[in-house]
Amino acid sequence: MIDFSQIDKLIHEKGRLAIMTLLYTRGEWAFQDLKAETGMSDGNLITHLRTLSQADYVSERRDSNGVRPKTSYSITKAGKKAFRTYVEVLEAIVKATTK
Amino acid sequence: MSNPNQAALEHLRIIRSLMERAHVYRALSAPAAMLGGLLAMAASGYLLWRGKSVAISGDTFLWVWLGILGISAIANMLLLARDAARRGQPVVSDGMRTASRTLAPPLLAGGVLGIGCVLHLDAVSLAATIWVICYGLALLASAGFSPKSLVWLGRIFFLTGLILFGLSFLSPLGWGFFDRAIATIIMGATFGFYHVVYATALFIRGTESTIPAIE
Repeated sequence: MIDFSQIDKLIHEKGRLAIMTLLYTRGEWAFQDLKAETGMSDGNLITHLRTLSQADYVSERRDSNGVRPKTSYSITKAGKKAFRTYVEVLEAIVKATTK
Repeated sequence: MSNPNQAALEHLRIIRSLMERAHVYRALSAPAAMLGGLLAMAASGYLLWRGKSVAISGDTFLWVWLGILGISAIANMLLLARDAARRGQPVVSDGMRTASRTLAPPLLAGGVLGIGCVLHLDAVSLAATIWVICYGLALLASAGFSPKSLVWLGRIFFLTGLILFGLSFLSPLGWGFFDRAIATIIMGATFGFYHVVYATALFIRGTESTIPAIE
């Protein structure tokens, strides 16, 4: 029997799921790059990133060198672990309900 | 989406799609393909029109096409660098490193074999055929991270090369007197025309995000 409370509600939201997947898949992402890939607005993306940062799933790096300051994001160890657990729970739900 | 099974499947589908697409790297930019294609078609057309494709020496043939390759490669690098800068990424990204590791062996093999054919065997059309096959192989080898359009281009190059190789056996002396003219046509039709069609198709389709829109 699957305990649905195991699902990480923080990651389960589609926007945050997209961010977590991208960060998990391909290292560090610049804010503009994440925005282009997800198609989210600035405000939406910042809100989601802030939520993930507060949960210590995502870390932020500001680079003020160069003409324009750049903010990049990467997934933390805790974020990786949470993401893997989340995928495992989804897979368990699919397995359990298709039996 | 109240059914937990459906919801879980939908989220897994999103994850899979995002992961696949996050790895996509286009090693050949559309403007560079257009530039290289137009240069190749122009060079090929000029050589055929002036009748030089028959009289041209192997060395000159090599220099002409190596020159076009050099210009196209430099343009491609500059465009990829501009694209990376626009996205705030390093020019030598993980994607570029992977692409280089994948593309280098077939391209190097094609280059060495083709140049050897011209310099030692004076078989210019065979060299062109080898370049077409190896370029196709290089693009096919990149299927793991390239967009579908580039993989299709690889298939077409590879098949064309194999067909050309088969056709060269129709005559026991190969292409004989027409060897250089055939080679010039091969280069113009493949590296020229195919690249122009590829770039045009990309321009028509427009720039697309590699990730589906998030609802």
